[in-house]
Amino acid sequence: MTIEKFSYDNRIVKNFALATIIWGIVGMLMGLIIALQIPFPGLNIGEYLTFGRVRPVHTNAIIFAFVGNGIFMGLYYSLQRLCKARMFSDGLSKFHFWGWQSIIVLAAVTLLTGHTTGKEYAELEWPIDILIAVVWVAFAINMFGTIIKRRERHMYVAIWFYIATVVTVAVLHIVNSIEIPVSILKSYSAYAGVQDALVQWWYGHNAVAFFLTTPYLGLMYYFVPKAANRPVYSYRLSIIHFWALIFLYIWAGPHHLLYSSLPDWAQSLGTVFSIMLLAPSWGGMINGLLTLRGAWDRVREDVVLKFMVVAITAYGMSTFEGPMLSLKSVNAISHFTDWTIAHVHIGGLGWNGMLTFGILYWLIPRIYKTNLYSAKLASFHFWIATLGILFYAVPMYWAGFTQSLMWKEFTADGILKYPNFLETVTQLMPMYKLRALGGAMFLTGAIVMTYNLVKTMKQGTLNAEEAAEAPALEKNEKEHGGHWHRWIERRPVQMIVISAVVILIGGIVEFIPTFLVQSNIPTIESVKPTLHWNCKEEIFISVKVVTLVTHKWCDLSVPKLNAMVNIPKQESLYMIIHSNGDRSEQVRTYIVKEENIQMYGITII
Amino acid sequence: MYNLDMQKPIIDTETQCYHCGENCKEDSIEMDSKSFCCQGCKLVYELLQENNLCGYYDLQASPGKTQTHLGDRYAYLDQSSISDKLILFKEGDIAHIQFHIPAMHCASCIWLLEHMNRLDAGIINSKTNFIQKELHIIFDLTKTSLRKIVEKLHEIAYPPELNLKELEKGEKEAVSKSRIYKIGIAGFVFGNIMLLSFPEYFSEGIYEGEDFHVIFGYLNLLLSLPVFFYSASEFLENALMSFRQKVINIDVPIAIGIVAMFSRSIYEVVSDTGPGYFDSMTGLVFFMLIGRNFQSKTYEWLSFERDYKSYFPIAVCRLKGTEEEVVSVQEIKTNDRLFIRNQEIIPADVLLVSKQAQVDYSFVTGESREVTCQYGERIFAGARLIGRPAEVLVQKDVSHSYITKLWNQSSGKSESKSKYAHLTESISKWFVIVTMGIAIGSLLYWYPTDPSRAMLAFTSVLVIACACALALSAPFTFGNMIRILGKRGIYLKNTKVLERLSNIDTVVFDKTGTLTSAENYKVEYIGIEPTDLQKQFIASLAHASSHPFSRMISNYLSSSNHKLPITHLKEINGKGIEGWMQGSLVQLGSRSFIQVAETQQENVKSSEVGVSIDGKLLGYFYFKTSYRHSANNLLHSLKKEGYKISVMSGDYNFEQTHLEELLEQKDGIHFEQKPIDKLNSIKEVQSHGKKVMMIGDGLNDAGALMQSDVGLAIAEDINNFTPGSDGIILSKNFGQIGNLLRYAKAGHRIIIISFIISILYNLVGLWFAVQGTLSPVIAAILMPISTSSLVVYTVLASSIKARSLGLTKMRV
Amino acid sequence: MSVILILISFSLLVAGSFLIGFLWSVKTGQYDDDVSPAVRILFDDEILTTKEQPNSKNTDAV
Repeated sequence: MTIEKFSYDNRIVKNFALATIIWGIVGMLMGLIIALQIPFPGLNIGEYLTFGRVRPVHTNAIIFAFVGNGIFMGLYYSLQRLCKARMFSDGLSKFHFWGWQSIIVLAAVTLLTGHTTGKEYAELEWPIDILIAVVWVAFAINMFGTIIKRRERHMYVAIWFYIATVVTVAVLHIVNSIEIPVSILKSYSAYAGVQDALVQWWYGHNAVAFFLTTPYLGLMYYFVPKAANRPVYSYRLSIIHFWALIFLYIWAGPHHLLYSSLPDWAQSLGTVFSIMLLAPSWGGMINGLLTLRGAWDRVREDVVLKFMVVAITAYGMSTFEGPMLSLKSVNAISHFTDWTIAHVHIGGLGWNGMLTFGILYWLIPRIYKTNLYSAKLASFHFWIATLGILFYAVPMYWAGFTQSLMWKEFTADGILKYPNFLETVTQLMPMYKLRALGGAMFLTGAIVMTYNLVKTMKQGTLNAEEAAEAPALEKNEKEHGGHWHRWIERRPVQMIVISAVVILIGGIVEFIPTFLVQSNIPTIESVKPTLHWNCKEEIFISVKVVTLVTHKWCDLSVPKLNAMVNIPKQESLYMIIHSNGDRSEQVRTYIVKEENIQMYGITII
Repeated sequence: MYNLDMQKPIIDTETQCYHCGENCKEDSIEMDSKSFCCQGCKLVYELLQENNLCGYYDLQASPGKTQTHLGDRYAYLDQSSISDKLILFKEGDIAHIQFHIPAMHCASCIWLLEHMNRLDAGIINSKTNFIQKELHIIFDLTKTSLRKIVEKLHEIAYPPELNLKELEKGEKEAVSKSRIYKIGIAGFVFGNIMLLSFPEYFSEGIYEGEDFHVIFGYLNLLLSLPVFFYSASEFLENALMSFRQKVINIDVPIAIGIVAMFSRSIYEVVSDTGPGYFDSMTGLVFFMLIGRNFQSKTYEWLSFERDYKSYFPIAVCRLKGTEEEVVSVQEIKTNDRLFIRNQEIIPADVLLVSKQAQVDYSFVTGESREVTCQYGERIFAGARLIGRPAEVLVQKDVSHSYITKLWNQSSGKSESKSKYAHLTESISKWFVIVTMGIAIGSLLYWYPTDPSRAMLAFTSVLVIACACALALSAPFTFGNMIRILGKRGIYLKNTKVLERLSNIDTVVFDKTGTLTSAENYKVEYIGIEPTDLQKQFIASLAHASSHPFSRMISNYLSSSNHKLPITHLKEINGKGIEGWMQGSLVQLGSRSFIQVAETQQENVKSSEVGVSIDGKLLGYFYFKTSYRHSANNLLHSLKKEGYKISVMSGDYNFEQTHLEELLEQKDGIHFEQKPIDKLNSIKEVQSHGKKVMMIGDGLNDAGALMQSDVGLAIAEDINNFTPGSDGIILSKNFGQIGNLLRYAKAGHRIIIISFIISILYNLVGLWFAVQGTLSPVIAAILMPISTSSLVVYTVLASSIKARSLGLTKMRV
Repeated sequence: MSVILILISFSLLVAGSFLIGFLWSVKTGQYDDDVSPAVRILFDDEILTTKEQPNSKNTDAV
């Protein structure tokens, strides 16, 4: 046995880093546009730049393009080094990169042209869903292949976080995206009504959990110790924290459906598991922060560490806030208000954004074998981004409370004091403007970063093939290695075939719901869908929204409609109310009432 | 008394190696304006400096160890008969070896040890296991050798532990991981069952119409199977075993609870009468297992039951005619002639063949004091040779040596420890009786009127009155305490030691090395008061020697001023040192060395060094062992708290009066105690119903340590020899023994309070249970609340107590 | 609410596979040492820096 020489693939890391930067700017710009559209409705220009179209582009661009590419950048960098191995296949790496970028472009185009499934964070239509599945499987093969041919026996905790991400996101995506295509760009969910809602938020929450959290925790466990040059505070805690998180996270989804038509027990279930999540989440945060204990003097100087500290703190805040929001009494205040927006952005801007910036500032000079072009600019970025978060979050919290209080305020006669939704909106205008300012500051910082990093890349040269060496993993070390796993380790190809078969079986199993649903939901003849949708069992009531005030559609639920509101097709400004069969009449009657039409500006077609 | 190393050139330079603190030779290496005595030190410095790890040099000046004096100490590793035994396995030219490296202690250690391949190109890979303090090295036999690697490790101050034990150990027994599996499975199942049970708890009618509860019920049943049959197996098996032995231990009430819950749950699910208690059952098993695991914290890198073999060398040099050959220690036979080098331990009882030799019995007696042996004198196994190599004749082979006998004599496990009745055990007996009584009582009460409710009440009592809290409070309290103590340099073997500690009423100290410290020599000078210049002479001369006494003299004179240049420096091993300064001959050494006629007071019990200038005797420096600084306070406070104190010493009684003053008592001070005497007198005390804690060190205390209810070994550093003991306490924490006892008593109180709390919880549950109205929800709420509140209470209370006792301020 | 059965079975499937992963990692000794791996990840870059300045410092020492 000798020491093997190999090289790390830095080109793919660089590509993902560039994609992260570019899509980050795009996504933030989209966010800024919709933030401005609320106080300045005139900015809803033309068909394609209306709020309803741009908003999903913003969310998708941030989650899947900015954060997604950020994950891949950090993962491709750290996995190779943690495994002491080059990525399994350069071809798969390239396929993954270009496949993912094309998904993003397709997403932007289809969403802006109004093709959407209407499921939040899963708006993309079925052909793109399939493409996502294919690219994801390619990525999974590439990752597992690398892990199998690793030269370091121990799998660092970050790798486990990556594995959790890859496996769970695949399952979530496939289960939630089962849909029946009616045309090349239109499909309907295989699940109906509240069942669809449950699946959607089982997916939706876990998308947050396994796309925005676990992979970034993995990145945190790699890049924070690297940047601080000291080992993680407690490695044991990180292991316990990982397994506890994995066993609990997947159940927290239903808390998004509090005060909905979801059965009470399912809502409570979400609450309980969300509360339990607090412990492992904070375990992670404390571990991250304490890694820097004794290095606070360096945090003052090193901009990378500054970004990371803010990111970890934001993670702690939002993982504390999350369980709190899942309490029904707190949720009664926050639900449908801008508090939720603030919460999401503490996570998005703070945790994901700041950690991504920190990693970029650390990683780009490293793979370009140079120093950061300007520490001053980076420091400027840090401060303007931090201020941006504050300018974003504080007004939104304010707005959330104001909204909630106004909605619940009654006159002496027991009538709602602000029956017109617009009243709350006008009240919040200053907050919306401040929020847009905060977003603009955050975007400015990102643009400064782009300049700084481009200059850094220019002054260095990409070390595309970083030489490394390590002895191969000896086969017969330690007998307790277990026979079956060594058997698998020696057969990467078989392993891939098996995993492909498993995924196929999984796919087939997933079609069962379609048949199940058919027999479960009673058909109500009296109410017909207005379009030619073939999901007869579901009640659709289409209402036309005359004035598009904000994206707060869900206000219809305030008077306890117990109905799920969704937006399938933005361009015609239709709103569809999915409801439990037996309540449909009630919903319909409610909507038809004159005052409602006036209040929400809706008409039945 | 003197044994200065003649080979070492002594030069007039103040330069000390930055890495190891050794005086630098004239060819010292300069780098970064720091001096290094050798390449090895410089390399270590370079490696560390380049990588900024751990502030290796900031923590302590010259933390490394001396890089010289290796010689052919490891020559025996070239013998294939020996190296083959050490090498784990070979494949072609590639060999694997695993070392135990006690010096491994921080991140830079890991860094350095995992970069061994930079120091030796033949090393392919080196991986540490920090927890076990092990280093696994894969190397190429064609490029390097075992000896080279060991020597390199020695050079960078991480000498591997190579001793007789390493040779003898066969397959390393695999650490049992089954408890971790059990916890993982129980945790997984618990979480999922909780999920599936919620619908029932939160349903409020909506749920009724649907038939999920049937599916969920069976799913729960299915999930709970591995918990019942695998995770909970240790409780069930232990309970069964204790039934057979007709004793009731803590596992009995737990097992009754688990079985009651499981069978009742199956009945409920099958008969479709309820959801069962699967969540409570799996949760209980999960928490219990965590408690057990928390309790079984061990210091894997410490060995409490080291036997003498761990200190014996692997190989020695045997003389065959004029030829030397390296043989493994096991092969030594009577009448073999051995060649023992500096710092080597003599592995068998031998007669000295050389004229004279210095040995140190610290390994046996616990006190490091050098003894001079003359030709024909008997040297016992375990003595460490100091200074000049010596030739010896083996009298008895290794397995028949005095030390082996001493060891075997004391290694019979003492009865008193295993018989010890634990608090939890004694309570659990009553617990079982009471709960069974209540259960049967409620069965009988309801049976005449409502037979079905009678069964319900009966099982409910068993379900709710599970000894959960009972079983958890001791593990968590003691587990936490043992961790806190471990951080403070007091390492206890297991949690049972803490329990026994809380009952101690008699404390027995060994004197030498325990109450006194080998490090704390007191220097006294008696003679003509030297002039300042003479003082400078003496200090300069003493400074030139590395002998401990010389250093002490140098420190005693605390001459910070300039050292004078010495000419004609001569050092005679074991005798003394002399040199010319400013025309005067200065001599330091034994009476014979300074050529002073043997005069009065022959019976000096302390060591002495005479000083003469120009042939004229000035006076003597005396070195007395002194009592540890904290000994006075400790003895005083222990006495005040009502502990009976006694001291046993193997020495003569010349310090009796001093000790009597110190102890403020006349009885209980025993001198000239042989190891077996110590053991017997502890037995004697115990026979009067006393619970004895023995504090000692060295092999001569081993028997007493084992016989006593708690045996604490004092160690200068944890890798010292510590005979079979229940705990190891670092000597600098000697003064904390009082606090340790107080802490153990506090722990006892904490557990009793937690029992009272758990009884309160149980009463609430029982109130429902005896009426037959206990629903799974109540069980599911009560169980985790009572468990977690008890865990929080015990852990917090024991941490706060540690803080209030000042245990948190101690350092390791 | 039949869909919850599907979600539960998928969740159990995922959680179960992670349970297997957990058992595997304990069995193969992944967690035998929970100190060294955390330190070890800091190493790789240092290997590279010295590799780039080939042995100028080390040759005299070894």
